[in-house]
Amino acid sequence: MDVALSWDRKDSVARSADEVRPDLEQVFRDSYRRVVAVAARVLGSRDEAEDVAQEVFLTFGRSGVPAGEALPWLSVAAAHTALNHIRTGKRRAGREEAAHPRDATVPDVAEAVVAREERRRVRAALSRLPRKQAVALVLRHSGLSYTEVAAALDVSPGSVGTIVRRAESALRKELNRHAPSE
Amino acid sequence: MRHPSEGVLRRLVDEPAGVTDTDREHVADCPACRDGLADARRDAEFAANALYAEADVNPDVAWLTFADKSVHSAARARTYRRWATKRTPLVAGLAALVLLAGAGTAAATDWLQIFRTEKIAPVPVRQADLMAIPDLSSWGDVEITERPKIHPVAGRAAAEKETGLALPDVTELPRGVTGDPQYQAGQRITATFTFRAGKVRAFAADAPPMPAGLDGSKFRLTAGPGAAAVWSSNQGVPSLIVARAVAPTAYSTGVPFATARDYLLSLSGLPAEVANQLRSFSADGRTLPLHVMPEKLTSKPADVNGRPATVLSSTDQVLAAVVWVDDGRVTLVAGSLSPGEVLTVARGLK
Repeated sequence: MDVALSWDRKDSVARSADEVRPDLEQVFRDSYRRVVAVAARVLGSRDEAEDVAQEVFLTFGRSGVPAGEALPWLSVAAAHTALNHIRTGKRRAGREEAAHPRDATVPDVAEAVVAREERRRVRAALSRLPRKQAVALVLRHSGLSYTEVAAALDVSPGSVGTIVRRAESALRKELNRHAPSE
Repeated sequence: MRHPSEGVLRRLVDEPAGVTDTDREHVADCPACRDGLADARRDAEFAANALYAEADVNPDVAWLTFADKSVHSAARARTYRRWATKRTPLVAGLAALVLLAGAGTAAATDWLQIFRTEKIAPVPVRQADLMAIPDLSSWGDVEITERPKIHPVAGRAAAEKETGLALPDVTELPRGVTGDPQYQAGQRITATFTFRAGKVRAFAADAPPMPAGLDGSKFRLTAGPGAAAVWSSNQGVPSLIVARAVAPTAYSTGVPFATARDYLLSLSGLPAEVANQLRSFSADGRTLPLHVMPEKLTSKPADVNGRPATVLSSTDQVLAAVVWVDDGRVTLVAGSLSPGEVLTVARGLK
């Protein structure tokens, strides 16, 4: 892990491999949409985001994270896991290419190719941002409040705006710098 | 006076209530800060567009997948028992339907009913085979527009009023099941699957040719609503559940269901004998194949007051269920009971 953030605390894993917390189903149902939304913003793909969500909930299920802290923990875990997928090039087997374009509003092959290339560029740009900036950016744009982002990243609420602002500026510059030539 | 920081300007974009009055007033009067705010707003909008992703997901369906394949085997029995007893045949039946055709919304008016569940038949498909099946989005567009939204309700009357279904009475509770039940209701689920030849070709270059008329054809499936009475236990899982739901029904815009089904099965990579089994079960458009993983469940035929039924038992012997269809309604009795006990409850329902 690039930075030591709260979701990756060693003491958060408190259960053996065959022991699953009893509140897992409720937390899953309450938080699944948010976790997928976070991962989808990093990966640009709902299918891949759902794979990441499954991975994150599996880790959560064996953790001792209090249920009241589950949502920020899961959110930041989803962002990190998705960013790690980009970095390692980990992909779902078999259907990644087939999954694009999922969006039925993309009507033809040319537009689909452009959309896919755009997703690739955004993913690459995100992976070049400092990890904390990338995570803060994704969490904020997934709908977390400044207070929630602060709790998830273990930073002061007053610093969230600065981190997000710098991340957005950096993202724009990264995408412009690597923009495809006309 | 000092200018507010770039972080404060950024927060003004989407959480102005989190910024002090002093800073807000300064920005309103300061051209430099207004420019900074405009820059922040522009970058925020740019990032929002760049990061936009479609992420409409169904936690109920995702939970089934998660509980099924991700939880370690030692804990899986407990987890599986929890969802299996809560979900009612509405969802269990849906899993089989999704395997065959997909499901969603229907604005079209020319739907032709092609399938109405009148009986249920178990189809054993091993987990490894099931995992090898790509999801339907590889072959077309899947849209789920009505979701079951299973939720607790105040009582039996509320469950029946919401669903329009009469819940049967349990004449005698099995030993160990005590107290009053809690009631749940679930709304109808509707989904549409649209075949897309382009997606099929993109997914598998060697796919067999699509039958005439199949490209772009739509299949709508509905199931539910459903209601359930749930007796809890001190283990935190239901000790008994009696559920009833409107049986699944499928509609087509014209292509015979068998044509779509056979083509899907030719693509799925299922073992040939399983595919043949699925074809034969639904050939009459009346039998709903209920997917059973032999690693987890065994099934056997039974009789509930003259109606053919299927008894399911978990291989760890912690769960048993009996399910049958009568007059377009699926009824399920399940719990942390023996097969004999659930059958006794089922046969005693009034």
